[in-house]
Amino acid sequence: MTITTAPASSVGRASSRQSVDIGLRKVVTSVDEILMDGGKAVPAVIRQASCIAIIANPWIADAPLADLQPATERIAPMVAKLLSDRLLAALGDPSTVEAFGKAAVVGLEGELEHAAAMIHTPYFGNLLREFLEGTSIICFADARSEAGADLRVPLWHKSHASTRSHYQSLHIHLADAPHAAEIVVIAAASTGPRPHPRIGDRSTDRPVTSTILEGITS
Amino acid sequence: MKIRKIVTLIDETLLEGGRPVSPAARIAVVAAVIENPWAGQGFVEDLSAGIDATASDLGALLAPRVMEALAAPLEAYGKAAIVGLRGEIEHGSALIHTLKFGDHFRSAAAATTLLPAVEKRGPAGVAFDIPLKHFTDATIRSHHQSFEVRIADAPHPDEILIALAGATQGRPQQRLAPLTTEQ
Repeated sequence: MTITTAPASSVGRASSRQSVDIGLRKVVTSVDEILMDGGKAVPAVIRQASCIAIIANPWIADAPLADLQPATERIAPMVAKLLSDRLLAALGDPSTVEAFGKAAVVGLEGELEHAAAMIHTPYFGNLLREFLEGTSIICFADARSEAGADLRVPLWHKSHASTRSHYQSLHIHLADAPHAAEIVVIAAASTGPRPHPRIGDRSTDRPVTSTILEGITS
Repeated sequence: MKIRKIVTLIDETLLEGGRPVSPAARIAVVAAVIENPWAGQGFVEDLSAGIDATASDLGALLAPRVMEALAAPLEAYGKAAIVGLRGEIEHGSALIHTLKFGDHFRSAAAATTLLPAVEKRGPAGVAFDIPLKHFTDATIRSHHQSFEVRIADAPHPDEILIALAGATQGRPQQRLAPLTTEQ
């Protein structure tokens, strides 16, 4: 038996001050190391990591259509730092990260707009991109759901988003989150492409238009 | 042993019942998804060859990874064997219910008690709860806890998912009286 990968590194500790400041209930870090797929060993072990912060929804008690900006500016940067630190602790140096993605799931008492506020502004996205040393826009998933949600977080290449080999997604299982007044914020990253990418790329595709249907459809 | 993937989960609880948990309660799980050593062989009466070829290596792989992921002294632990649909639950039990497997974890954690376990057969993505108990005294009530795991694409029908779990403390906000107060 030869296992060449290092164990997932230990992660930083969230402080109790943080937990009170942003109502941080849990942090869950997950690392998948893929050694084999389709019955064939991968050329280099691929590590896919996600980090999840479960926080209180700061807008639950607000009037309808309240301004989301103040809490976004206060909370989103802290969450971006927390999640980035753990992703890098799990995967290593930012140079090892090739693909990234993000997601937010709001509990049933909140609005989808609350989830969007946590991940779709520069207060989260710019920081995650900076910490992971990417340049691409970050692809995403969002949802409102009961606790016990499963979702897939999409990832693509951190500096060349159209790189087809790096289109991939991660499964996230949230056993007891989000509670109705919580938001789950997720950052994800991968050290490589899909296990055995072989569907070409834009540079190798021949031109494809609807003319290829001629003679096939009646 | 053919390993398809290794999954590490680290769960930190900072608030429970609305109150801070300090230090944060940490649970780490490391799971290996392997080919069932008895796949395609029909009913195998004597499982000892497969056990000898696999169980100790699995324990040696998983135990140090749990300790590293936990990054703090372990106080409670448990294990899991989830068998794909073409295997027998006996195949999973064969790999985890041997000293060859468990002693790696006991040694790494300076533990003395038996590891509580979940054994189950199911489709890929089946959810399972790993029971954890105190690492030197299984009657210590504060440390009875369990941790839910669900890995979307494992185990395949001819695979077995084997996991070890460790916790740095008992339940967050544990406040039950000791067992002895009821005697």
